[in-house]
Amino acid sequence: MGRLRWKGLVLAVAGLVVLSTPLIGAQERGITPTEVVLGSSMPLSGPAAYWGAVGKGIDAYVKYLNDQGGIHGRKLTFILRDDSYLPPRAVANVRELVERAGVFAIVGLIGTANAFAVRDYIVQNRVIWITPTADSSIWAGFRQKRYLFVTYPSYVHEATILTRYAAEKLGVKKVAVFYQNDLYGQKGLLGVKRAVNALKGAVKLVSAVPYELVVTDLSSHALKLRGSGADAVILYATPRHGALIVREMAKIGYRPRLLASFTLTDPIMFTLAGEAWDDVYLTAFFPLPGTDPKVDETLQILFKYDPTLRANPFNSVAGVAFLEPFLEGLRRAGRDLTTERFISAMETIRNWDGQVIRGVTFGPDRRQGINRIYIVRAEKGRYTKLTDWIEYPVEF
Amino acid sequence: MAVLALQYALNGLATGSLYVLVALGIVILYRTSRILNFAHGDIATFGTFLAFTLITRLGVAPLLAYLLTLATTGLLGAGFYSLILRRAKEATLLGQIVMTLGFALVLNGAVVVVWGADTKVFPSLLSETKVYHLGGIVISQLSLGSLIMGFFLMVLLYLLVQWTKVGLAMRAVSQNPLAAQALGIPTRRVLALAWGVASALGASAGILLAPVTLLDPFMMLDPFLKGFAAAVLGGMDSPPGAVVGGLVLGVIESLFGGFVSVAFKATLAFAIIVLVLTVRPEGLLGREYKKRV
Repeated sequence: MGRLRWKGLVLAVAGLVVLSTPLIGAQERGITPTEVVLGSSMPLSGPAAYWGAVGKGIDAYVKYLNDQGGIHGRKLTFILRDDSYLPPRAVANVRELVERAGVFAIVGLIGTANAFAVRDYIVQNRVIWITPTADSSIWAGFRQKRYLFVTYPSYVHEATILTRYAAEKLGVKKVAVFYQNDLYGQKGLLGVKRAVNALKGAVKLVSAVPYELVVTDLSSHALKLRGSGADAVILYATPRHGALIVREMAKIGYRPRLLASFTLTDPIMFTLAGEAWDDVYLTAFFPLPGTDPKVDETLQILFKYDPTLRANPFNSVAGVAFLEPFLEGLRRAGRDLTTERFISAMETIRNWDGQVIRGVTFGPDRRQGINRIYIVRAEKGRYTKLTDWIEYPVEF
Repeated sequence: MAVLALQYALNGLATGSLYVLVALGIVILYRTSRILNFAHGDIATFGTFLAFTLITRLGVAPLLAYLLTLATTGLLGAGFYSLILRRAKEATLLGQIVMTLGFALVLNGAVVVVWGADTKVFPSLLSETKVYHLGGIVISQLSLGSLIMGFFLMVLLYLLVQWTKVGLAMRAVSQNPLAAQALGIPTRRVLALAWGVASALGASAGILLAPVTLLDPFMMLDPFLKGFAAAVLGGMDSPPGAVVGGLVLGVIESLFGGFVSVAFKATLAFAIIVLVLTVRPEGLLGREYKKRV
């Protein structure tokens, strides 16, 4: 009797194991038949909290998609963690997202230094990583890129293009750079230096003035820039510091030509900097809000799901630009989603247009989704497109 | 060159006067209760956001809004002391300091939740773009205004501490709390008042700063650290020391940024702290350091 019962139990357990094995085998981290789990780490507090709107934009768009029925019957779950823009916290967050929350992919992750800090971990754990918002030139020549897909521009190439434009189209002879003293600003400075060298004496770099993120008194910085006698200043700064420095320069009567990274195309600049933001040259890598019906439509959707995003339209719509290629990959991968199928699907994306991001191309050996920007000019609260797309080399 | 140096010095003076307001708040509390208030910056930020809402959302006249803000922020500081800090009877001094750190985090979180993390333009009665020229030196109406306002508040505080009965009580409590209590001075109320005055001073610094630095939940981070550095430089328990410390720090910083290295300007204040603590631990105008028994 006792033996029989044992036998039955053993058989039952064995049967269960056999039955459930295929299910366990098919089950990958972060995917179930009804759900795909995404995660990200961004500054939601601390001096860079402003950029957290990228994550909130993604969150709002994910909610909208789920209300539309999700993708292939799967709803998306987006887990957002706060890192205060501190690389050590970004590392802890990503580990938690991968090991405890079990995400299928990491979307975004703000800050070049932060992306650098988590890079090895993400690569070693074979986590799909969609567009870290970090200077894309940090991936140039990077070999372990199988799980990485990037639609973020390169600050180095951007700065080179801006400097060339200043020298060739605006007749600038002496240029100065005002930059954030971290990888973001330093990459911009590097790009300016490269252009200056390539242009062989047509334009000179006369001053490079760094600032720290927590500093709010920029009076000495402005005097330094004026002292350099530059006829153009290129800005690699946060919207707040960009606004502060142009106001300080205007105050001491120094009005050079201004050029700035696409990170300052945020319409809030017109409010923060006021008149000082007139006649500034910037770049863009997707159609800016107010210039394109699809982008504006997307913005309205975001505002409907999260009205607080009205204060921050540019960053929230940029969040959608980073997320979109991932959604397209999910659509193309079909109902039987696995990591490998997803990667193969992403690799079929060629010159694809999303709601916000345009002209995305990936391939078996290409992970740099975009390699082009265009130049705009700020004028009385609006941005006017000045050039067609300007391409730069594909590096990874 | 000389004109440029003067310009840097003037900029430094304008920034320094705001460091002074922050430093005075820190020093007043340190003197009366030996507590280093880490929430000082966040109390000030809260006050500044309050003024922002009163002016831009509720349409209150700016001057009235400033007064309302100072009163409310003063109450917030006094309330924190009376309702939270004082209740923790068993807490050591270090424990109380950690409580202020906790209060700072709570306040900052609340500000982000209520007002959002985006940068806002703080309306000002004075213009930042209207500038006055004095033989090659430029100062904006706004900087000049905050400089004057800063000095006015310093004088007001001096009068309060040195010439009123309340000020006398504050000084008595700071010198010997037990003896003061024995002589019938309501020490708790005096301490609550010190918290209130310090918090209101912080808020006034925030209101003067916000039009220049723009308003966001972290705007007081740097001014608070600099104010703290100024307090250490001048002597932690000397209000005149805080004034001298703040102005000296502002000017040195500005000149250093202009003529030596703008990249290390932000860290200079902390190098100065290290230097002061090594050479003259009591600060420029502080009394000789003696441990209170």
